[in-house]
Amino acid sequence: MDDAIKPVVDWLRERNPTVEEIPEDLDLIENRLIDSLAFMEFILLLEDVIGRELHLDQIDVDQFRTLRSLTDHFLKR
Amino acid sequence: MPMPSVNTPSTGPAGTTAGDDTEFRTLLDRLSDKATADYYNPFTTFDWPPTIPADGLWMSPELLSVHGTGLMDELSPAQLQALGRWESVNFYSLNVHGIRELLIEVTRRIHTTGFELPSEFFHHFIGEENDHMWFFATFCLKYADKIYPDRTVKLPEAPRAQDVENFLVFARILIFEQIVDHYNVHLAADQRLHPTVRHINRLHHQDESRHIAFGCRLVQLLWERLLDRGLNEADRLDLRDYLGRYLTTSMESFYSPAVYRDAGLTDGFALRRRLLAHPARQAAHAKVLHKTTDFLHRIGVFDARH
Repeated sequence: MDDAIKPVVDWLRERNPTVEEIPEDLDLIENRLIDSLAFMEFILLLEDVIGRELHLDQIDVDQFRTLRSLTDHFLKR
Repeated sequence: MPMPSVNTPSTGPAGTTAGDDTEFRTLLDRLSDKATADYYNPFTTFDWPPTIPADGLWMSPELLSVHGTGLMDELSPAQLQALGRWESVNFYSLNVHGIRELLIEVTRRIHTTGFELPSEFFHHFIGEENDHMWFFATFCLKYADKIYPDRTVKLPEAPRAQDVENFLVFARILIFEQIVDHYNVHLAADQRLHPTVRHINRLHHQDESRHIAFGCRLVQLLWERLLDRGLNEADRLDLRDYLGRYLTTSMESFYSPAVYRDAGLTDGFALRRRLLAHPARQAAHAKVLHKTTDFLHRIGVFDARH
């Protein structure tokens, strides 16, 4: 797994202490690792990692569903 | 799932007694009369000065997100003023976005089955909330040239039963109003602040006192209906946990990396996390939330585990 995604994985583990492994294609929303309440903090974390603000009225939720899609859409250099 | 009636409780699915109906009607009549008596035209009420001096206080220092931490001493007076200015704009921006959500939810329910009785008061409520949204947005745009964007996103989630959803909608509205009211009362009374700042907070508190009285009664009625129809333990725990997290998330929205950046403070996300972990900030949150948590304990939504 790319180092860039590590803060995201750490945050998910901190929020979901019973979850050990987070496969790259696990649906984080469907499996409730992130819900609407947690999403605000998650967005702030992601913005901190990528160094720019996201326009939430333009986002496609599917881009946030898995670690792989997060890497593909936000963390590829 | 039938929607719980707050109009005809004696015949509704929850089987609440007619006595509750009388008390609720009396409260609604009193609050509607008060709303009519207190009515003001927001578009002519305010004396908007061309500017509010940036070198004055816009926010009481006691309400800053850094209050009680070492940063209160580390930051210069100018930095604290800047932080207060942007935190106040964030506070009014949160109001704008919170009001949009509650207007959508209340408008969705007015004059629908189960909400016949409070619909008359909903008209006052919706009208007043529209006014509040206007004066908060006006303040932000006139004096800061921006409204901080809404940071909430509704993710696709399994739908809850309609009566549970109704309870949660009005519980969220009440929580939002009680948190905001804590700030309004403090800001309205703080003579160090600009008169316009005090004015909008005083008027908002005046209207919100009625909304909160109404919200407490409605939330209690909707909760009792859920218990009467046999809310199971798993759903009860789910609601308790959700509302507990909603309280936490609401307080966390006062710690904005965008605000810290505008105030000239670097590494806003790390600062937010550091402040949120500070015991003085947790104590400050408990103080802001105590009316809400006391209420939720009293009606039985929260228990000893929360």
